[in-house]
Amino acid sequence: MRVILVGFGVIGRGVIKVIKKKREYLKKKYGMDLKVVAICDSSGAAIDEKGLDLDLALEVKKKRGRISEYPGKGVTLPVTEVIRSVESDVLIEVTPTNLEDGEPARTYIIEGFKSGKHVITANKGPLALYFQELMSYARRYNRIFRYEASVGGAMPIINLARETLAGNEIIEIKGILNGTTNYILTKMEREKLDFDTVLKEAQELGIAETNPYQDISGLDTAAKIVILANSIMNMKVTIRDVKIEGITRITPEALTMANKGGYTIKLIGEVKRNKLEVGPKLIPLDDPLNVKGSLNVAKLYTDLAKEVIVVGRGAGSIETSSAILSDIINIYLQTSKG
Amino acid sequence: MILLDLELKDSPGELLKALTPISEMGINIHSVIHLREKKSDGKVPVRIVLEDLDEETLERIVERLEESGIVVTKVNNKVRKMDVDVVVIGHVVDTDIRDTIDRLNKYGLVVDLDLTMPHPFKESSARMRIVVDSKNLEDLCREMEKLSKEKDLLFIKSF
Ligand SMILES: NC(=O)c1ccc[n+]([C@@H]2O[C@H](COP(=O)([O-])OP(=O)(O)OC[C@H]3O[C@@H](n4cnc5c(N)ncnc54)[C@H](OP(=O)(O)O)[C@@H]3O)[C@@H](O)[C@H]2O)c1
Repeated sequence: MRVILVGFGVIGRGVIKVIKKKREYLKKKYGMDLKVVAICDSSGAAIDEKGLDLDLALEVKKKRGRISEYPGKGVTLPVTEVIRSVESDVLIEVTPTNLEDGEPARTYIIEGFKSGKHVITANKGPLALYFQELMSYARRYNRIFRYEASVGGAMPIINLARETLAGNEIIEIKGILNGTTNYILTKMEREKLDFDTVLKEAQELGIAETNPYQDISGLDTAAKIVILANSIMNMKVTIRDVKIEGITRITPEALTMANKGGYTIKLIGEVKRNKLEVGPKLIPLDDPLNVKGSLNVAKLYTDLAKEVIVVGRGAGSIETSSAILSDIINIYLQTSKG
Repeated sequence: MILLDLELKDSPGELLKALTPISEMGINIHSVIHLREKKSDGKVPVRIVLEDLDEETLERIVERLEESGIVVTKVNNKVRKMDVDVVVIGHVVDTDIRDTIDRLNKYGLVVDLDLTMPHPFKESSARMRIVVDSKNLEDLCREMEKLSKEKDLLFIKSF
């Protein structure tokens, strides 16, 4: 199976490392011969229809910062041109999240479908803004569209709900879908430090981004519950429908207050009929949603299985790439059946 | 059979206080089940199983229990009264806490209040426990939203 990778940052490089590490395993277990035929970043691309040398690609990116400097096979073509012209079975889209207009990912994904490729993305932007549109392209071109990594990173949730829990109606989903805010609240609670201090420390440690706005404002969580609402609860909503409150006003005193009453405070995303909400909530100390550090957690209420709870890592290069690999394998199994 | 779920205080005589009015009304009590471990707030959840009753008698029992200060959380598995907790952040005291409580009491009853002494310029926080009829929960939420806008308070809810 041939793949094009668009985006060669933290996750893009993680995907390449995971493919390298699992190459033999994939061959043995599934008979899958996985070839990366193009890698793109903002500088252009490296293209080799016979399959790129992945070690070399990682090295070029590390040393030169630009994949277009890949010896002999680097080009400065526009990415849409690469997607259109390079023959491949799957497009993996991992460019930065943009919650304003979903670009450039939206265009890349649509271009992928138009040129006959199945698409995998980890990117919340286009999913939270244009879910219906992207699904309709997938249908029109009869391609598979998978996005497990976009919500909860490595924590299985979308495919869990749609495949493992198939037959169940998902009535409600509630959880912590942002690791950065969970890390901050956990630390504030344990060490009685104020928000700004902990945020600064988290930035220094690389846990929070230089621009943490999307995380602490609740916007990132909102994008994720919109994806869940659309993809597993058949709702037709966008991020504009979500009531959002962030965590910037939380104080260590409030956390102590909550603790005295048997609670902790978590940034919770919640979706059910007539409710699409992100905000700080009191969670009982002994509740399974009370997970610490930068973990993510989700509780799904279903009609038959009742409550199902998953916990996992919501971020990280290799962790998140594992969800992308599971999408790759799934597409391979669906398309190679015969 | 009728199921009544109660929340009792963890002190001697509480169970009797709940059972006495029922047996005084001549109603058979089939069993008393301790539902689970004591909750974190010290309340003990108990389920009482009664013989079949008509609506009217059932309502009279529930009312009598509630009059004697017992919280009836569920009747035949249908939620009736619930405890909700909120932590409020903002200038809680300076924005007339009496008025805040009065307005919440229109839809529920604030039964517990815990307050940190506010630093004059900084935001403070308070914790409230409110007992509310499940049918009034939405109105209570709406009132909190109004208060939150008017007084710039952040309500962090347990529900
Ligand atoms: N990091 C996580 O733990 C995590 C977890 C779950 C989901 N995600 C999602 O995964 C996606 C990628 O995240 P990341 O952390 O890998 O981001 P990142 O490190 O910023 O990498 C983004 C990559 O996209 C490339 N890029 C930027 N603009 C482009 C354009 N117009 N055309 C082509 N390529 C472009 C960048 O190129 P240059 O290298 O040339 O700058 C870079 O290689 C995001 O949507 C993110 O939300 C991330």
